[in-house]
Amino acid sequence: MTTVFTLDNIITVLRQTSILFLLSQGLTVVILTGNIDFSVGPLAALCGCICAQMIVHGFPAGLGIVSALMTGAAFGLTNGLLVGKLKLPSFVATYGMSMVASGLATIVMNGGVIYGLPADLTALGAGTVGILPVPVIVTGITFAFLYAVLKKTSFGRCVYLTGLNQSAARYSGINSLMTILAAYLLSGLFGAAGGVVMTARLNAADAGMTEAYGLKIIAAVVVGGSSLLGGEGGVERTFLGALVLTVISNIMNIAGIASEWQNLVFGVIILLIGGLDYSRHHRS
Amino acid sequence: MEPMLRIENLCKSFPGVKALDNMSFDLYPGEVHILAGENGAGKSTLSKCILGYVRPDGGHMFLDGKEIAFASPKDSLACGIAAVYQELTMVPWLNAAENIFFNREPVYGKTGIVRTGKMISDARTILSDLGSHDIDVTVPVRKLGIAKQQMVEIARALSMDPRLIIFDEPTSALSEKDTEALFAKIHDLKKKGAGIIYISHRMKEYDRIGDRITVMRDGKYICTGRVSDFSGEELIHHMVGRKTVRIYSRREEKAASRTESDQHRKTEGPAPAEIKEVLKVENLCDKKGRVKNCSLSLRSGEIAGIAGLVGSGRTELARLLFGIDKAGSGKVLLHGEDITGCSPGKLVRKGIGLLPEDRKEQGLALRASLAWNVTSAGLHKAFPGHILDRRTEKKLSEDYMEDLNIAARDTEVRALNMSGGNQQKLVLAKWLLADTDVIIFDEPTRGIDVQAKREIYAHMAQLAASGKAILLISSELSELIGMCDRIYVMREGAISGELSGEELSEEKIGEMMFGVGV
Repeated sequence: MTTVFTLDNIITVLRQTSILFLLSQGLTVVILTGNIDFSVGPLAALCGCICAQMIVHGFPAGLGIVSALMTGAAFGLTNGLLVGKLKLPSFVATYGMSMVASGLATIVMNGGVIYGLPADLTALGAGTVGILPVPVIVTGITFAFLYAVLKKTSFGRCVYLTGLNQSAARYSGINSLMTILAAYLLSGLFGAAGGVVMTARLNAADAGMTEAYGLKIIAAVVVGGSSLLGGEGGVERTFLGALVLTVISNIMNIAGIASEWQNLVFGVIILLIGGLDYSRHHRS
Repeated sequence: MEPMLRIENLCKSFPGVKALDNMSFDLYPGEVHILAGENGAGKSTLSKCILGYVRPDGGHMFLDGKEIAFASPKDSLACGIAAVYQELTMVPWLNAAENIFFNREPVYGKTGIVRTGKMISDARTILSDLGSHDIDVTVPVRKLGIAKQQMVEIARALSMDPRLIIFDEPTSALSEKDTEALFAKIHDLKKKGAGIIYISHRMKEYDRIGDRITVMRDGKYICTGRVSDFSGEELIHHMVGRKTVRIYSRREEKAASRTESDQHRKTEGPAPAEIKEVLKVENLCDKKGRVKNCSLSLRSGEIAGIAGLVGSGRTELARLLFGIDKAGSGKVLLHGEDITGCSPGKLVRKGIGLLPEDRKEQGLALRASLAWNVTSAGLHKAFPGHILDRRTEKKLSEDYMEDLNIAARDTEVRALNMSGGNQQKLVLAKWLLADTDVIIFDEPTRGIDVQAKREIYAHMAQLAASGKAILLISSELSELIGMCDRIYVMREGAISGELSGEELSEEKIGEMMFGVGV
């Protein structure tokens, strides 16, 4: 028992959690508004690929990262307009955009894989500051930022109120279009950041690199206990959700459970937590 | 002759209201029997009982002398009873033919395969019979426009070949020509011996098609007679009645406090608040034709009322003023500044607030805490730097709980778990915090207890006294007369008149609401 909770192990787990958590942080804001974003994973892959391609073609790492973030922002704003302005169901809009993202990623990569990126970039994934891995630091800083925005600013409150009752929010003078737009913008930016950090960590990029995360990005938010109805939860809960999923995955790996069975276990866990959330709401 | 439908002492209660109170009614074959009364008089509940949507708590209904107790609309349909509703009840993305024969589609033998061709030609026949040759029965009804949809709705009821039909405000969306065609059809049905119950607020129609009329008020039977035996004024008098208790009279309160302050003024001489025009509305129209050329003005320190039947455009006007819907034409000026087309968010900052009619869906975030609701419209006032502060929020909420006498365990209680009266006071709290110069109250006392009503009235009076301009929309005439300095009356989307001072009476407002003697 004593060996599990060593500082080393804790840091390792945090590092393993960081990319999943980064991806699901921005998504949390969207879910708080009562919407969903299926495009985070494919968008992260696209942004990672764009960053890698830019660098391989001789641009500085910084420019690669900025291009990735701008791509994320563009996708986020498009999602926001489709959902907030054109009133498309967020399921449809973001699923469509996820296909666009993964299609673009394949085109950008020309079907290939990029290996061996410069140290400027890989430091973002593999470097450490003191004993802390850089991905943990990045994720920690964005977490603190997002937590403060959601819990301590008027904008954050508008996010919650929009998710709690969009009609009442409108009748209170809250601009739900701007709120939804900003939420998707954050989701896009965090997707891009996750993609860049992942590329740096893997020291490689390919169009399907985030497929392993799949719906786990959404599951982290739900397992953490944020309501898919919107308005309840927060990034701190998503942190717990991402941590739980990572630890369960670790345990299954150590126990030598085959990956097919791992999915089954995840499925059951998500059903249980979803069921609890549902029954909690229908009791009140 | 035996009545085909006889209703005796029917009673039905909903939480907080007696919708039907010993109601009696009868209908003979070949008769058009008009059912009249204000909104909430119980007409719809009565028709829902006849149709089997609602089960009465007590009393008896007889069809052809046999007692009936319908468990669902299916049973009433089986007995040949059909209805045309004011609110359209069609499936918007199905076409007219599919809607008319919904769930009764003609099929090939027992295959269950729909005979589309027959369905379409039958639908055409029924509609042309109603004079609506021009309706395309193959396009989704949502594309047809409201008047044509209403004709399809009527066609559906007629296609069931009913012997008893209830029409609930069938003509409110119809043109003159369609109305004529409908009346001709009703005449045919009469001749064939069908019984017709006709519900309408349009008194002009009573003479044209009605044989007898029954007036209801507060769920009770008031009187029945031949249509020709009543004058318009008499009918209004029966419908409106003499409202018994006025639970709050601002004018009496004002009169009482004026004598006090007059004595006060001699000694200290506080300057009377300067009265100026705050809100001016010029020829405002919406885009759907539900608000037509409305002009009104609102001064600081006064309460102006808007009376009108449900559907007269009152709430739509409020939604326009608050920027929820965009105006089609016309202008809104606040302190002389043109604010037409501003979003609700901008309007709140400029000084317009709205307590919406549906407090559960529009007024409050029910899943949120009391404190969150208190600050929801006034985040910019409570936290001018955009940074939230839990202590400020708690303090503000506690202050409003005390000022407005809101009963709740603490500021963290979810709005969901509060009573209707306390919820409404919570909506008021959020607009007190937003501190807007104009406050629109849309049905602020619907469904709340007398004590909470009285408190809300007192706060409205206080707000006006402090210089706010208040617009009160209400279905309760006694509430309007008790609270308002002036009353605008709306009818069919337009402002049909303005009353003030001694002119404020239930009869006078009633006449303008129903459009009699204008």
